[in-house]
Amino acid sequence: MVKRKKIFRYDNVGILFVLPAFLYMLVFVGYPIARNIILSFQDVDAGNLVRGAKNFVLFENYIGLFQDGVFRTSLLNTLCYTVLCLFFQFVIGFALALFFNQRFSFAKPIRGLLLIPWMIPITVTALMFRLLFATDIGVLNYILRSLHLIQENVEWLTTPGTALFALVFANVWIGIPFNMILISTGLTTIPKELYESASMDGANKAKTFWHITLPLLRPTIESVLILGFIYTFKVYDLVYVMTGGGPVNSTHMLSTYSYKLSFEMFKYSKGSAVANVLLVILLIVGVFYIRVTTKEEE
Amino acid sequence: MDGEKKLSRNKNVLLCVISVLFLCILLFPLYWALITSLKTEQEIFQIPPTFYPHELNLKSYAAQIEMGDFNMFRSFANSFIISVGAMVIAVLLAVPASYGIAKYRFKGRKVMLLSFLVTQMLPVSVLLTPMFIMFKNMHVYNTWWAAVLADATIGIPFSVLILKNYFASIPKDLEEAAYLDGCNRFTAFARILIPIAKPGVMVCAIFSFLYAWGDLAYGMTFILDQERRPITAGIFNFMGQYGTKWSYLTAFAVVTIIPVALIFIFMQKYIVSGMTSGAVKG
Repeated sequence: MVKRKKIFRYDNVGILFVLPAFLYMLVFVGYPIARNIILSFQDVDAGNLVRGAKNFVLFENYIGLFQDGVFRTSLLNTLCYTVLCLFFQFVIGFALALFFNQRFSFAKPIRGLLLIPWMIPITVTALMFRLLFATDIGVLNYILRSLHLIQENVEWLTTPGTALFALVFANVWIGIPFNMILISTGLTTIPKELYESASMDGANKAKTFWHITLPLLRPTIESVLILGFIYTFKVYDLVYVMTGGGPVNSTHMLSTYSYKLSFEMFKYSKGSAVANVLLVILLIVGVFYIRVTTKEEE
Repeated sequence: MDGEKKLSRNKNVLLCVISVLFLCILLFPLYWALITSLKTEQEIFQIPPTFYPHELNLKSYAAQIEMGDFNMFRSFANSFIISVGAMVIAVLLAVPASYGIAKYRFKGRKVMLLSFLVTQMLPVSVLLTPMFIMFKNMHVYNTWWAAVLADATIGIPFSVLILKNYFASIPKDLEEAAYLDGCNRFTAFARILIPIAKPGVMVCAIFSFLYAWGDLAYGMTFILDQERRPITAGIFNFMGQYGTKWSYLTAFAVVTIIPVALIFIFMQKYIVSGMTSGAVKG
Protein backbone atom coordinates (compact mmCIF):
# COMPACT_ATOMS: atom_id res chain seq x y z
CA MET A 1 0.00 0.00 0.00
CA VAL A 2 2.86 2.35 0.77
CA LYS A 3 4.27 1.67 -2.62
CA ARG A 4 1.01 2.49 -4.35
CA LYS A 5 0.71 5.80 -2.60
CA LYS A 6 4.14 6.83 -3.73
CA ILE A 7 3.40 6.00 -7.32
CA PHE A 8 0.27 8.06 -7.50
CA ARG A 9 1.63 11.08 -5.69
CA TYR A 10 3.91 12.25 -8.41
CA ASP A 11 1.51 13.33 -11.08
CA ASN A 12 4.30 15.23 -12.66
CA VAL A 13 5.90 12.02 -13.96
CA GLY A 14 3.22 12.25 -16.65
CA ILE A 15 5.15 15.02 -18.30
CA LEU A 16 7.88 12.55 -19.22
CA PHE A 17 5.43 10.72 -21.44
CA VAL A 18 4.30 13.87 -23.20
CA LEU A 19 7.64 15.61 -23.54
CA PRO A 20 9.06 13.75 -26.57
CA ALA A 21 6.02 14.50 -28.73
CA PHE A 22 5.79 18.03 -27.42
CA LEU A 23 9.45 18.76 -28.11
CA TYR A 24 9.14 17.30 -31.58
CA MET A 25 6.25 19.62 -32.34
CA LEU A 26 8.09 22.53 -30.77
CA VAL A 27 11.10 21.99 -33.03
CA PHE A 28 9.27 21.19 -36.25
CA VAL A 29 6.17 23.36 -35.88
CA GLY A 30 6.63 25.87 -33.05
CA TYR A 31 9.98 27.12 -34.20
CA PRO A 32 8.93 27.40 -37.87
CA ILE A 33 5.91 29.50 -36.89
CA ALA A 34 8.11 31.90 -34.97
CA ARG A 35 10.60 31.94 -37.80
CA ASN A 36 7.85 32.63 -40.28
CA ILE A 37 6.67 35.63 -38.30
CA ILE A 38 10.19 37.04 -38.16
CA LEU A 39 10.64 36.34 -41.86
CA SER A 40 7.57 38.40 -42.69
CA PHE A 41 9.16 41.46 -41.08
CA GLN A 42 12.39 41.04 -43.01
CA ASP A 43 13.41 41.36 -46.60
CA VAL A 44 14.48 37.90 -47.65
CA ASP A 45 14.89 36.52 -51.15
CA ALA A 46 16.79 33.68 -52.77
CA GLY A 47 20.10 35.47 -52.14
CA ASN A 48 19.96 35.64 -48.36
CA LEU A 49 17.52 32.88 -47.43
CA VAL A 50 19.82 30.33 -45.85
CA ARG A 51 22.79 32.53 -45.10
CA GLY A 52 23.57 36.21 -45.28
CA ALA A 53 22.34 39.38 -43.67
CA LYS A 54 18.64 39.95 -43.42
CA ASN A 55 17.26 43.47 -43.19
CA PHE A 56 14.30 44.26 -41.05
CA VAL A 57 11.68 46.18 -42.95
CA LEU A 58 8.96 46.07 -40.30
CA PHE A 59 5.50 46.24 -41.82
CA GLU A 60 6.59 46.92 -45.37
CA ASN A 61 5.62 43.44 -46.56
CA TYR A 62 2.17 43.69 -45.03
CA ILE A 63 1.56 47.20 -46.34
CA GLY A 64 2.69 46.01 -49.73
CA LEU A 65 0.11 43.22 -49.65
CA PHE A 66 -2.82 45.53 -49.35
CA GLN A 67 -1.74 47.37 -52.47
CA ASP A 68 -1.34 44.08 -54.26
CA GLY A 69 -4.28 43.21 -56.50
CA VAL A 70 -3.52 39.49 -56.53
CA PHE A 71 -3.49 39.40 -52.75
CA ARG A 72 -6.91 41.04 -52.57
CA THR A 73 -8.21 38.61 -55.16
CA SER A 74 -6.83 35.63 -53.23
CA LEU A 75 -8.33 36.85 -49.98
CA LEU A 76 -11.71 37.32 -51.61
CA ASN A 77 -11.42 33.98 -53.45
CA THR A 78 -10.57 32.12 -50.26
CA LEU A 79 -13.60 33.60 -48.51
CA CYS A 80 -16.01 32.98 -51.40
CA TYR A 81 -14.66 29.51 -51.97
CA THR A 82 -14.93 28.58 -48.30
CA VAL A 83 -18.47 29.88 -47.88
CA LEU A 84 -19.70 28.20 -51.06
CA CYS A 85 -18.03 24.88 -50.25
CA LEU A 86 -19.30 24.89 -46.68
CA PHE A 87 -22.83 25.61 -47.78
CA PHE A 88 -23.08 22.90 -50.44
CA GLN A 89 -21.19 20.16 -48.65
CA PHE A 90 -23.14 20.78 -45.47
CA VAL A 91 -26.56 20.74 -47.13
CA ILE A 92 -25.80 17.70 -49.28
CA GLY A 93 -24.04 15.93 -46.44
CA PHE A 94 -26.93 16.60 -44.10
CA ALA A 95 -29.49 15.36 -46.62
CA LEU A 96 -27.51 12.18 -47.18
CA ALA A 97 -27.13 11.62 -43.45
CA LEU A 98 -30.90 11.86 -43.02
CA PHE A 99 -31.42 9.55 -45.97
CA PHE A 100 -29.05 6.89 -44.65
CA ASN A 101 -30.52 7.17 -41.19
CA GLN A 102 -33.49 5.18 -42.48
CA ARG A 103 -33.06 1.49 -41.88
CA PHE A 104 -33.05 -0.04 -45.32
CA SER A 105 -30.88 -3.03 -46.17
CA PHE A 106 -28.14 -1.16 -48.06
CA ALA A 107 -27.93 1.81 -45.69
CA LYS A 108 -24.76 0.86 -43.86
CA PRO A 109 -22.62 -0.63 -46.63
CA ILE A 110 -23.39 2.17 -49.08
CA ARG A 111 -22.85 4.89 -46.56
CA GLY A 112 -19.48 3.30 -45.90
CA LEU A 113 -18.57 3.35 -49.58
CA LEU A 114 -19.52 7.01 -49.81
CA LEU A 115 -16.57 7.81 -47.54
CA ILE A 116 -14.14 6.97 -50.32
CA PRO A 117 -13.92 10.49 -51.84
CA TRP A 118 -12.67 11.84 -48.54
CA MET A 119 -9.79 9.36 -48.37
CA ILE A 120 -8.35 9.82 -51.81
CA PRO A 121 -5.13 11.84 -51.99
CA ILE A 122 -6.15 15.35 -53.01
CA THR A 123 -3.64 15.44 -55.84
CA VAL A 124 -5.49 12.51 -57.40
CA THR A 125 -8.86 14.17 -56.82
CA ALA A 126 -7.60 17.30 -58.54
CA LEU A 127 -6.41 15.23 -61.48
CA MET A 128 -9.75 13.42 -61.78
CA PHE A 129 -11.65 16.68 -61.84
CA ARG A 130 -9.29 18.17 -64.38
CA LEU A 131 -10.24 15.26 -66.57
CA LEU A 132 -13.98 15.70 -65.97
CA PHE A 133 -13.81 19.46 -66.55
CA ALA A 134 -11.51 19.21 -69.60
CA THR A 135 -12.72 21.28 -72.52
CA ASP A 136 -12.61 18.88 -75.47
CA ILE A 137 -12.70 15.44 -73.93
CA GLY A 138 -14.35 16.40 -70.65
CA VAL A 139 -17.38 14.29 -69.89
CA LEU A 140 -19.13 17.21 -68.19
CA ASN A 141 -19.17 19.23 -71.40
CA TYR A 142 -20.38 16.15 -73.22
CA ILE A 143 -23.29 15.62 -70.82
CA LEU A 144 -24.28 19.30 -70.88
CA ARG A 145 -24.17 19.32 -74.68
CA SER A 146 -26.28 16.18 -74.88
CA LEU A 147 -28.85 17.80 -72.64
CA HIS A 148 -28.71 20.91 -74.86
CA LEU A 149 -27.81 23.06 -71.90
CA ILE A 150 -24.79 24.45 -73.72
CA GLN A 151 -24.13 24.85 -77.43
CA GLU A 152 -20.35 24.95 -77.34
CA ASN A 153 -17.79 23.42 -75.03
CA VAL A 154 -17.12 25.51 -71.95
CA GLU A 155 -13.47 26.10 -71.07
CA TRP A 156 -14.09 25.44 -67.41
CA LEU A 157 -10.58 25.65 -66.05
CA THR A 158 -9.28 28.44 -68.23
CA THR A 159 -12.10 30.96 -67.72
CA PRO A 160 -11.88 32.95 -64.46
CA GLY A 161 -15.44 32.53 -63.13
CA THR A 162 -15.97 28.91 -64.09
CA ALA A 163 -12.55 27.87 -62.81
CA LEU A 164 -13.52 28.89 -59.30
CA PHE A 165 -16.78 27.03 -59.72
CA ALA A 166 -14.90 23.88 -60.75
CA LEU A 167 -12.74 24.16 -57.64
CA VAL A 168 -15.80 24.49 -55.42
CA PHE A 169 -17.35 21.51 -57.16
CA ALA A 170 -14.31 19.31 -56.54
CA ASN A 171 -13.98 20.40 -52.94
CA VAL A 172 -17.65 19.76 -52.22
CA TRP A 173 -17.11 16.27 -53.55
CA ILE A 174 -14.36 15.72 -50.97
CA GLY A 175 -16.33 17.39 -48.18
CA ILE A 176 -19.67 15.58 -48.52
CA PRO A 177 -18.54 12.32 -46.83
CA PHE A 178 -17.01 14.22 -43.93
CA ASN A 179 -20.20 16.20 -43.30
CA MET A 180 -22.38 13.15 -43.82
CA ILE A 181 -20.56 10.87 -41.40
CA LEU A 182 -20.33 13.44 -38.61
CA ILE A 183 -23.99 14.33 -38.87
CA SER A 184 -24.90 10.64 -39.09
CA THR A 185 -23.09 10.05 -35.83
CA GLY A 186 -24.85 13.04 -34.31
CA LEU A 187 -28.22 11.68 -35.39
CA THR A 188 -27.68 8.41 -33.57
CA THR A 189 -27.34 10.30 -30.28
CA ILE A 190 -30.90 11.67 -30.47
CA PRO A 191 -33.17 9.50 -28.30
CA LYS A 192 -35.80 7.66 -30.36
CA GLU A 193 -38.50 8.29 -27.73
CA LEU A 194 -38.48 11.97 -28.63
CA TYR A 195 -39.61 11.17 -32.16
CA GLU A 196 -42.20 8.71 -30.93
CA SER A 197 -43.81 11.14 -28.52
CA ALA A 198 -43.68 13.87 -31.15
CA SER A 199 -45.54 11.74 -33.66
CA MET A 200 -48.08 10.83 -30.97
CA ASP A 201 -48.64 14.53 -30.44
CA GLY A 202 -49.39 14.77 -34.14
CA ALA A 203 -46.25 16.57 -35.27
CA ASN A 204 -45.41 16.06 -38.94
CA LYS A 205 -41.94 15.31 -40.29
CA ALA A 206 -41.04 18.91 -41.05
CA LYS A 207 -42.02 19.96 -37.55
CA THR A 208 -40.05 17.22 -35.82
CA PHE A 209 -37.04 18.14 -37.96
CA TRP A 210 -37.16 21.82 -36.97
CA HIS A 211 -38.07 21.32 -33.34
CA ILE A 212 -36.24 18.14 -32.41
CA THR A 213 -33.53 17.16 -34.90
CA LEU A 214 -31.98 20.57 -35.52
CA PRO A 215 -31.82 21.83 -31.93
CA LEU A 216 -30.41 18.55 -30.63
CA LEU A 217 -27.85 18.39 -33.40
CA ARG A 218 -26.59 21.88 -32.67
CA PRO A 219 -23.26 20.85 -31.09
CA THR A 220 -22.58 18.49 -34.00
CA ILE A 221 -23.48 21.14 -36.55
CA GLU A 222 -21.23 23.67 -34.85
CA SER A 223 -18.21 21.41 -34.92
CA VAL A 224 -18.87 20.23 -38.48
CA LEU A 225 -19.03 23.79 -39.74
CA ILE A 226 -16.00 25.00 -37.82
CA LEU A 227 -13.87 22.02 -38.83
CA GLY A 228 -15.12 22.42 -42.40
CA PHE A 229 -14.16 26.08 -42.37
CA ILE A 230 -10.65 25.39 -41.12
CA TYR A 231 -10.06 22.62 -43.57
CA THR A 232 -11.49 24.48 -46.56
CA PHE A 233 -9.92 27.82 -45.76
CA LYS A 234 -6.39 26.46 -45.78
CA VAL A 235 -6.90 24.54 -49.01
CA TYR A 236 -3.68 24.21 -50.92
CA ASP A 237 -3.11 21.12 -53.02
CA LEU A 238 -6.53 21.00 -54.68
CA VAL A 239 -6.17 24.50 -56.09
CA TYR A 240 -2.49 24.18 -56.80
CA VAL A 241 -2.98 21.06 -58.91
CA MET A 242 -6.31 21.90 -60.54
CA THR A 243 -5.71 25.47 -61.67
CA GLY A 244 -2.36 26.52 -60.20
CA GLY A 245 -4.03 29.80 -59.31
CA GLY A 246 -4.72 30.57 -62.98
CA PRO A 247 -6.04 31.68 -65.36
CA VAL A 248 -4.20 34.97 -64.83
CA ASN A 249 -4.11 34.62 -61.03
CA SER A 250 -7.91 34.58 -60.84
CA THR A 251 -8.22 31.45 -58.68
CA HIS A 252 -5.36 32.02 -56.29
CA MET A 253 -6.14 31.30 -52.65
CA LEU A 254 -4.07 32.72 -49.79
CA SER A 255 -2.20 29.42 -49.52
CA THR A 256 -1.38 29.04 -53.21
CA TYR A 257 -0.44 32.71 -53.58
CA SER A 258 1.86 32.39 -50.60
CA TYR A 259 3.46 29.33 -52.20
CA LYS A 260 3.86 31.11 -55.49
CA LEU A 261 5.52 34.14 -53.89
CA SER A 262 7.91 31.99 -51.88
CA PHE A 263 8.79 29.10 -54.11
CA GLU A 264 8.21 30.38 -57.64
CA MET A 265 9.09 34.05 -57.31
CA PHE A 266 11.48 33.57 -54.34
CA LYS A 267 9.99 36.52 -52.46
CA TYR A 268 10.13 34.59 -49.22
CA SER A 269 9.23 37.46 -46.91
CA LYS A 270 6.20 38.48 -48.89
CA GLY A 271 5.09 34.85 -49.07
CA SER A 272 5.44 34.54 -45.30
CA ALA A 273 3.35 37.66 -44.80
CA VAL A 274 0.53 36.14 -46.88
CA ALA A 275 0.80 32.90 -44.91
CA ASN A 276 0.55 34.84 -41.66
CA VAL A 277 -2.63 36.57 -42.77
CA LEU A 278 -4.02 33.10 -43.43
CA LEU A 279 -2.81 31.97 -40.02
CA VAL A 280 -4.42 34.85 -38.16
CA ILE A 281 -7.81 34.22 -39.75
CA LEU A 282 -7.55 30.50 -38.96
CA LEU A 283 -6.60 31.21 -35.37
CA ILE A 284 -9.62 33.43 -34.90
CA VAL A 285 -11.86 30.62 -36.10
CA GLY A 286 -9.72 28.23 -34.09
CA VAL A 287 -10.81 29.89 -30.88
CA PHE A 288 -14.32 28.68 -31.60
CA TYR A 289 -12.98 25.25 -32.48
CA ILE A 290 -11.15 24.99 -29.19
CA ARG A 291 -14.20 26.16 -27.31
CA VAL A 292 -16.34 23.47 -28.95
CA THR A 293 -13.82 20.66 -28.39
CA THR A 294 -13.10 21.52 -24.78
CA LYS A 295 -16.82 21.80 -24.08
CA GLU A 296 -17.20 18.21 -25.27
CA GLU A 297 -14.44 17.15 -22.94
CA GLU A 298 -16.02 18.42 -19.76
CA MET B 1 -35.94 9.27 -39.12
CA ASP B 2 -38.45 6.78 -37.84
CA GLY B 3 -35.68 4.26 -37.49
CA GLU B 4 -37.34 1.75 -35.20
CA LYS B 5 -40.26 1.04 -37.46
CA LYS B 6 -39.73 -1.78 -39.92
CA LEU B 7 -39.80 -0.48 -43.46
CA SER B 8 -42.28 -2.02 -45.82
CA ARG B 9 -40.74 -4.26 -48.43
CA ASN B 10 -41.46 -1.93 -51.32
CA LYS B 11 -40.04 1.04 -49.55
CA ASN B 12 -36.94 -0.92 -48.66
CA VAL B 13 -36.34 -1.83 -52.31
CA LEU B 14 -36.98 1.75 -53.41
CA LEU B 15 -34.53 3.17 -50.89
CA CYS B 16 -31.91 0.61 -51.85
CA VAL B 17 -32.24 1.58 -55.50
CA ILE B 18 -31.96 5.28 -54.69
CA SER B 19 -28.90 4.70 -52.52
CA VAL B 20 -27.17 2.77 -55.28
CA LEU B 21 -27.95 5.68 -57.58
CA PHE B 22 -26.31 8.11 -55.14
CA LEU B 23 -23.30 5.85 -54.95
CA CYS B 24 -22.95 5.74 -58.74
CA ILE B 25 -23.17 9.52 -59.03
CA LEU B 26 -20.70 10.19 -56.24
CA LEU B 27 -18.15 7.63 -57.30
CA PHE B 28 -18.41 8.46 -61.00
CA PRO B 29 -15.19 10.55 -61.05
CA LEU B 30 -13.29 7.51 -59.77
CA TYR B 31 -14.88 5.18 -62.27
CA TRP B 32 -14.06 7.62 -65.03
CA ALA B 33 -10.40 7.83 -64.04
CA LEU B 34 -10.18 4.05 -63.87
CA ILE B 35 -11.66 3.40 -67.32
CA THR B 36 -9.65 6.24 -68.85
CA SER B 37 -6.48 4.52 -67.67
CA LEU B 38 -7.61 1.39 -69.51
CA LYS B 39 -8.45 3.10 -72.79
CA THR B 40 -6.19 3.78 -75.74
CA GLU B 41 -5.23 7.43 -76.31
CA GLN B 42 -7.37 7.36 -79.43
CA GLU B 43 -10.42 6.16 -77.58
CA ILE B 44 -9.98 8.80 -74.90
CA PHE B 45 -10.26 11.54 -77.51
CA GLN B 46 -13.22 9.93 -79.21
CA ILE B 47 -16.48 11.90 -79.37
CA PRO B 48 -18.96 10.85 -78.10
CA PRO B 49 -16.93 9.41 -75.23
CA THR B 50 -17.16 5.71 -74.47
CA PHE B 51 -18.46 4.78 -71.02
CA TYR B 52 -16.35 1.63 -70.80
CA PRO B 53 -13.14 0.77 -72.65
CA HIS B 54 -14.08 -0.84 -75.96
CA GLU B 55 -10.52 -1.91 -76.48
CA LEU B 56 -8.70 -2.87 -73.29
CA ASN B 57 -5.32 -1.17 -73.11
CA LEU B 58 -2.86 -1.96 -70.34
CA LYS B 59 0.05 -0.15 -71.97
CA SER B 60 -0.31 2.89 -69.72
CA TYR B 61 0.66 0.72 -66.80
CA ALA B 62 3.31 -1.29 -68.58
CA ALA B 63 4.96 1.83 -70.02
CA GLN B 64 5.69 3.10 -66.54
CA ILE B 65 8.12 0.31 -65.87
CA GLU B 66 10.31 1.34 -68.76
CA MET B 67 10.08 5.09 -68.37
CA GLY B 68 13.18 6.39 -66.64
CA ASP B 69 12.12 9.86 -65.63
CA PHE B 70 8.64 9.27 -64.33
CA ASN B 71 8.73 5.76 -63.09
CA MET B 72 5.58 5.52 -61.04
CA PHE B 73 6.67 2.38 -59.25
CA ARG B 74 9.72 4.13 -57.93
CA SER B 75 7.58 7.07 -56.83
CA PHE B 76 5.25 4.58 -55.23
CA ALA B 77 8.10 3.07 -53.25
CA ASN B 78 9.26 6.57 -52.21
CA SER B 79 5.78 7.43 -51.00
CA PHE B 80 5.59 4.17 -49.15
CA ILE B 81 8.89 4.69 -47.36
CA ILE B 82 8.01 8.28 -46.47
CA SER B 83 4.52 7.40 -45.23
CA VAL B 84 5.68 4.45 -43.15
CA GLY B 85 8.46 6.59 -41.68
CA ALA B 86 6.06 9.37 -40.75
CA MET B 87 3.62 6.82 -39.35
CA VAL B 88 6.26 5.21 -37.14
CA ILE B 89 7.42 8.54 -35.72
CA ALA B 90 3.86 9.71 -35.14
CA VAL B 91 2.77 6.54 -33.36
CA LEU B 92 5.92 6.20 -31.27
CA LEU B 93 5.63 9.76 -30.01
CA ALA B 94 1.85 10.04 -29.79
CA VAL B 95 1.13 6.85 -27.86
CA PRO B 96 3.04 7.83 -24.70
CA ALA B 97 2.05 11.49 -25.05
CA SER B 98 -1.66 10.72 -25.18
CA TYR B 99 -1.30 8.41 -22.20
CA GLY B 100 0.44 11.12 -20.20
CA ILE B 101 -2.24 13.66 -21.05
CA ALA B 102 -5.09 11.26 -20.30
CA LYS B 103 -3.85 9.85 -17.00
CA TYR B 104 -1.77 12.51 -15.29
CA ARG B 105 -2.64 16.01 -14.10
CA PHE B 106 0.77 17.65 -14.28
CA LYS B 107 1.65 21.31 -14.60
CA GLY B 108 1.46 22.57 -18.16
CA ARG B 109 -0.88 19.79 -19.24
CA LYS B 110 -3.50 22.24 -20.52
CA VAL B 111 -0.94 24.22 -22.47
CA MET B 112 0.40 21.11 -24.13
CA LEU B 113 -3.04 19.83 -24.98
CA LEU B 114 -3.94 23.19 -26.43
CA SER B 115 -0.80 23.30 -28.52
CA PHE B 116 -1.65 19.94 -30.07
CA LEU B 117 -5.11 21.25 -30.88
CA VAL B 118 -3.72 24.38 -32.50
CA THR B 119 -1.10 22.62 -34.59
CA GLN B 120 -3.83 20.50 -36.06
CA MET B 121 -5.32 23.44 -37.84
CA LEU B 122 -2.20 25.13 -39.15
CA PRO B 123 -1.91 25.74 -42.87
CA VAL B 124 1.15 24.23 -44.56
CA SER B 125 1.98 27.63 -46.04
CA VAL B 126 3.08 28.92 -42.64
CA LEU B 127 5.57 26.11 -42.19
CA LEU B 128 6.99 25.61 -45.67
CA THR B 129 9.65 28.32 -45.88
CA PRO B 130 11.02 27.98 -42.32
CA MET B 131 11.07 24.18 -42.64
CA PHE B 132 12.84 24.56 -45.97
CA ILE B 133 15.58 26.65 -44.31
CA MET B 134 15.74 24.26 -41.38
CA PHE B 135 16.07 21.14 -43.50
CA LYS B 136 18.78 22.79 -45.56
CA ASN B 137 20.72 23.54 -42.39
CA MET B 138 20.13 20.03 -41.06
CA HIS B 139 21.39 18.62 -44.37
CA VAL B 140 18.26 16.54 -44.87
CA TYR B 141 16.89 18.71 -47.69
CA ASN B 142 16.30 16.63 -50.81
CA THR B 143 16.17 13.35 -48.87
CA TRP B 144 13.26 11.20 -47.73
CA TRP B 145 13.95 12.40 -44.20
CA ALA B 146 12.74 15.91 -44.94
CA ALA B 147 9.33 14.65 -45.99
CA VAL B 148 9.18 12.09 -43.18
CA LEU B 149 9.94 14.67 -40.49
CA ALA B 150 7.46 17.16 -41.94
CA ASP B 151 4.67 14.63 -42.52
CA ALA B 152 4.93 13.34 -38.96
CA THR B 153 3.86 16.79 -37.73
CA ILE B 154 0.42 16.12 -39.24
CA GLY B 155 0.06 12.69 -37.67
CA ILE B 156 1.26 13.50 -34.16
CA PRO B 157 -1.37 16.03 -33.00
CA PHE B 158 -4.15 14.03 -34.63
CA SER B 159 -3.01 10.83 -32.92
CA VAL B 160 -2.54 12.44 -29.52
CA LEU B 161 -6.05 13.86 -29.55
CA ILE B 162 -7.63 10.59 -30.66
CA LEU B 163 -5.68 8.29 -28.36
CA LYS B 164 -6.12 10.47 -25.31
CA ASN B 165 -9.79 9.50 -25.31
CA TYR B 166 -8.94 5.81 -25.54
CA PHE B 167 -6.59 5.96 -22.58
CA ALA B 168 -8.97 8.12 -20.56
CA SER B 169 -11.67 5.47 -20.94
CA ILE B 170 -9.52 2.71 -19.41
CA PRO B 171 -10.49 2.30 -15.74
CA LYS B 172 -7.85 3.16 -13.19
CA ASP B 173 -8.41 -0.18 -11.41
CA LEU B 174 -6.71 -2.03 -14.23
CA GLU B 175 -3.62 0.07 -13.86
CA GLU B 176 -3.61 -0.30 -10.08
CA ALA B 177 -3.92 -4.06 -10.37
CA ALA B 178 -0.86 -4.04 -12.59
CA TYR B 179 1.10 -2.09 -9.98
CA LEU B 180 0.13 -4.61 -7.31
CA ASP B 181 1.39 -7.34 -9.60
CA GLY B 182 4.76 -5.68 -9.59
CA CYS B 183 4.64 -3.49 -12.66
CA ASN B 184 6.05 0.00 -12.48
CA ARG B 185 4.22 2.67 -14.40
CA PHE B 186 6.30 2.22 -17.52
CA THR B 187 5.86 -1.53 -17.73
CA ALA B 188 2.17 -1.18 -16.85
CA PHE B 189 1.83 1.26 -19.70
CA ALA B 190 3.61 -1.02 -22.13
CA ARG B 191 2.09 -4.37 -21.10
CA ILE B 192 -1.40 -3.50 -19.96
CA LEU B 193 -2.54 -0.17 -21.37
CA ILE B 194 -1.19 -0.21 -24.91
CA PRO B 195 -2.76 -3.60 -25.72
CA ILE B 196 -6.14 -2.31 -24.49
CA ALA B 197 -5.87 0.86 -26.54
CA LYS B 198 -4.87 -1.09 -29.63
CA PRO B 199 -7.86 -0.10 -31.77
CA GLY B 200 -7.01 3.53 -31.09
CA VAL B 201 -3.39 2.93 -32.01
CA MET B 202 -4.59 1.39 -35.28
CA VAL B 203 -6.67 4.47 -36.06
CA CYS B 204 -3.64 6.67 -35.45
CA ALA B 205 -1.33 4.53 -37.54
CA ILE B 206 -3.79 4.44 -40.43
CA PHE B 207 -4.46 8.16 -40.43
CA SER B 208 -0.81 9.10 -40.01
CA PHE B 209 -0.04 6.91 -42.99
CA LEU B 210 -2.88 8.35 -45.04
CA TYR B 211 -1.98 11.95 -44.26
CA ALA B 212 1.58 11.35 -45.37
CA TRP B 213 0.45 9.38 -48.42
CA GLY B 214 -1.77 12.25 -49.55
CA ASP B 215 0.76 14.98 -48.91
CA LEU B 216 1.92 17.03 -51.86
CA ALA B 217 3.28 20.29 -50.43
CA TYR B 218 6.05 18.84 -48.26
CA GLY B 219 7.19 16.17 -50.67
CA MET B 220 7.29 18.62 -53.55
CA THR B 221 9.00 21.44 -51.67
CA PHE B 222 11.59 19.55 -49.68
CA ILE B 223 12.60 16.94 -52.23
CA LEU B 224 14.01 18.16 -55.48
CA ASP B 225 15.04 15.01 -57.34
CA GLN B 226 12.28 13.15 -59.09
CA GLU B 227 13.92 9.87 -58.10
CA ARG B 228 13.22 10.51 -54.44
CA ARG B 229 9.92 12.33 -54.68
CA PRO B 230 6.64 10.83 -53.49
CA ILE B 231 4.04 9.70 -55.99
CA THR B 232 1.82 12.78 -55.54
CA ALA B 233 4.68 15.03 -56.58
CA GLY B 234 5.35 12.60 -59.42
CA ILE B 235 1.82 13.04 -60.72
CA PHE B 236 2.13 16.78 -60.46
CA ASN B 237 5.39 16.83 -62.41
CA PHE B 238 4.03 14.50 -65.00
CA MET B 239 0.97 16.70 -65.42
CA GLY B 240 3.16 19.70 -66.07
CA GLN B 241 5.13 17.93 -68.77
CA TYR B 242 2.60 15.66 -70.43
CA GLY B 243 -0.58 17.52 -69.56
CA THR B 244 -2.86 15.74 -71.98
CA LYS B 245 -1.47 12.23 -71.84
CA TRP B 246 -4.55 11.19 -69.93
CA SER B 247 -4.07 7.43 -70.14
CA TYR B 248 -0.72 7.71 -68.35
CA LEU B 249 -1.96 10.31 -65.90
CA THR B 250 -4.98 8.30 -64.85
CA ALA B 251 -2.87 5.14 -64.56
CA PHE B 252 -0.68 7.11 -62.18
CA ALA B 253 -3.79 8.14 -60.24
CA VAL B 254 -5.12 4.58 -60.02
CA VAL B 255 -1.82 3.28 -58.68
CA THR B 256 -1.80 6.06 -56.07
CA ILE B 257 -5.25 5.02 -54.90
CA ILE B 258 -4.38 1.32 -54.46
CA PRO B 259 -3.06 1.51 -50.87
CA VAL B 260 -5.93 3.78 -49.90
CA ALA B 261 -8.39 1.31 -51.37
CA LEU B 262 -6.77 -1.60 -49.54
CA ILE B 263 -6.88 0.26 -46.24
CA PHE B 264 -10.49 1.11 -46.91
CA ILE B 265 -11.47 -2.47 -47.69
CA PHE B 266 -9.75 -4.06 -44.73
CA MET B 267 -9.95 -1.38 -42.07
CA GLN B 268 -13.12 0.53 -42.70
CA LYS B 269 -14.24 0.59 -39.08
CA TYR B 270 -11.08 2.42 -38.07
CA ILE B 271 -11.66 5.02 -40.77
CA VAL B 272 -15.12 5.85 -39.51
CA SER B 273 -13.88 6.06 -35.96
CA GLY B 274 -11.02 8.36 -37.00
CA MET B 275 -13.24 10.63 -39.06
CA THR B 276 -15.81 11.07 -36.32
CA SER B 277 -13.39 11.92 -33.54
CA GLY B 278 -12.97 15.48 -34.66
CA ALA B 279 -10.22 15.32 -37.20
CA VAL B 280 -9.11 18.12 -39.43
CA LYS B 281 -7.68 16.82 -42.62
CA GLY B 282 -4.03 17.86 -43.00
